[in-house]
Amino acid sequence: MGDISVRDLKKTYAVGEVRVEALRGVSLDIKDGEFIAVIGPSGSGKSTLMHILGCLDRPTAGRYLLGGRDVSQISPDERASIRNREIGFVFQSFNLLPRTPAVENVELPLLYNGRKLSRSQRRSRALEMLASLGLSDRALHHPNQLSGGQQQRVAIARALVNSPKLVLADEPTGNLDSQTSREIMELFGRLNAERRLTLVVITHERNIAACASRIVELRDGRVESDAPVRAS
Amino acid sequence: MSFEIALSGLKRYRLRTALSLVGLAIGVGAVLVTVAIGNGAHASIQDQIRAAGLNVILVKAGNYKTKGDEIIEVQAPHARLTPLLDRLLAALVPEVLAHPENDPMEKHDHPTAAERLGDAEAGLGAAATLTQEDAEAIADLPGVRDVASGVHENVKVFLGERRWFTRLHGTDVDLPKIRRAHALSAGRFFSARELRRAEAVVVLGSVVRDKLFPLEAEPVGAEVTLWHQSFRVVGVTSSANWMTPGASGDDEFDAVYVPFTTVHRLLNVTNLNTITITADSTGEVSQVAKAVTELLRKRHRIADTAPDDFTVVTQASEVLTKGLHPNVARVLAGNLPNLERVTLEELSMTLERSSRTMMALLISIALVSLLVGGIGIGNVMLLSVTERTREIGTRLAVGARAKDVGEQFFLEALLLSGVGGVAGVLLGIAASRIVSGSFGWKASLSPGVVAVSYGIAIAIGVVAGFFPARRAARLDPIEALRYE
Repeated sequence: MGDISVRDLKKTYAVGEVRVEALRGVSLDIKDGEFIAVIGPSGSGKSTLMHILGCLDRPTAGRYLLGGRDVSQISPDERASIRNREIGFVFQSFNLLPRTPAVENVELPLLYNGRKLSRSQRRSRALEMLASLGLSDRALHHPNQLSGGQQQRVAIARALVNSPKLVLADEPTGNLDSQTSREIMELFGRLNAERRLTLVVITHERNIAACASRIVELRDGRVESDAPVRAS
Repeated sequence: MSFEIALSGLKRYRLRTALSLVGLAIGVGAVLVTVAIGNGAHASIQDQIRAAGLNVILVKAGNYKTKGDEIIEVQAPHARLTPLLDRLLAALVPEVLAHPENDPMEKHDHPTAAERLGDAEAGLGAAATLTQEDAEAIADLPGVRDVASGVHENVKVFLGERRWFTRLHGTDVDLPKIRRAHALSAGRFFSARELRRAEAVVVLGSVVRDKLFPLEAEPVGAEVTLWHQSFRVVGVTSSANWMTPGASGDDEFDAVYVPFTTVHRLLNVTNLNTITITADSTGEVSQVAKAVTELLRKRHRIADTAPDDFTVVTQASEVLTKGLHPNVARVLAGNLPNLERVTLEELSMTLERSSRTMMALLISIALVSLLVGGIGIGNVMLLSVTERTREIGTRLAVGARAKDVGEQFFLEALLLSGVGGVAGVLLGIAASRIVSGSFGWKASLSPGVVAVSYGIAIAIGVVAGFFPARRAARLDPIEALRYE
């Protein structure tokens, strides 16, 4: 059994009087250090799955074991703590704080990790992280002074700063050109290889998904196919 | 930690932070300045009430009764007769009819007959019988504090080529004690010795000084000419209150003061036009006025049924008739005994009340501006929560608890109001210093007032921060992350 185990996950939303079944029973096992791409057309439930995997949301039914612990029905504060320590997020639109230097954006998760790091400890951790992603000279730039690729790398640094085991990326290349997209995916590949990071990337582009080692395809809230990528 | 997060949140939106700080600071400052102005004005009004001399009684030579369609019959204050007897007496005793010119309440733009011709020729006859002995007798009455004799003339004051037509008051050394609205801006008042020796010394009113002397000249020690006699200037008297500066044509500062003995010596007269008296307390004014009336009637040997040959005026009647049409004023003054039912305490309490009302009004206006400042902060915070929804989503995603986010926004509001409050207190103290400095008021900001307005600022921050903070804390992370 892998580090992430999802069994018969269901999620139903009430949109007005209509009930929308976003997930209709998804079961999935993800092993430590796996690089998975989740693909599927819009409305297939891939974002909902990511929200639940990321502990941003709770399933209506089903079980979610993260590192052997059932986290499907824990309190919001406990979920916040898991998001902070065990999961890193990368978003399509980067979600960096505006008017805030890159280094302070990277520090953000450290502010909430409850370990009471000093200001200088936070700063040096964040700078280290930026340096490892080749952004040392951009540490004091504000997001609007950075290119899209640089912004996404700052966001990745932020996702990694608390040393999580799992990184979830929701359309990480959606706002980037193909050259930069390739670079970001290469970066993910390297991080996965070097740090044994478990990576779940949601995308609707086949060629992006091909960078992963395994592709899970969703359709109408169910897993349609789940297969490893053949080394090309 | 949350404090740091809040601080960095505020730093990120410098202009907005600065503007809302300014808004609250102005609010708090306005409250403090208003309270300071209110206190200052209140103290100033109280000074004026005292300075206006509500305990002053003025005895004027001569009496007047006029008859006409609009003029009401005057009853002498001492008369305590039944209405029937009163009417009988009215039929028997002829009314004294006087030319309006001799009305002491009347203001004239030319010397009156009395001033041109002297009292006897002017037809006042026995009316001009106030003497220095009367004044001395009054001084011995119980309840009387100060007595100042007065002879009043119109004079031309010469200084070289310059001349100025003004009022001359021959008076006593005690006048400065009575005229508390006066302040000697230079030199001194004339002395008892100068009075005794009837010396040619003069105290100039500020208006006369301004008219005769160039701005930079030192009037004290200079010689001016009155009635072809050289007088030495010993002092300048001006208004003690900035709100009532001397003006040309007024009787107090467009005037010169000399010892009454000097006037008597130079003009060869012995009568007084007025005797100014102060009672020990305002409450005794009516009693003292009555005692003075009885004393003077006895001294002047006036028969019980004859009218007074003098007029006793209290400040209450002066205040009440000030600015009225002369005829109306005459009626009011003539009915003085009835007016005295309005006690002086009531009069001063009315002034007190109106100044308090004024202050309450000012404070409520200032509180509104404080409220506006507070609403400004509330508005900024609400706007902030909406505008920073994605930021909130991001914070929640990286592990902030709802509580952390709520705390951040609440602390931001609290910081704004705390810092804005301090700025407002400093602003208010500085502004009230300036105001009190330029108006000559006492800066009267008690620590209690400062504490209360700072407390209000903090309370506003708490209220203005609470709802936006709650809203921020309740945001759903997924919705917040998607927010555009």
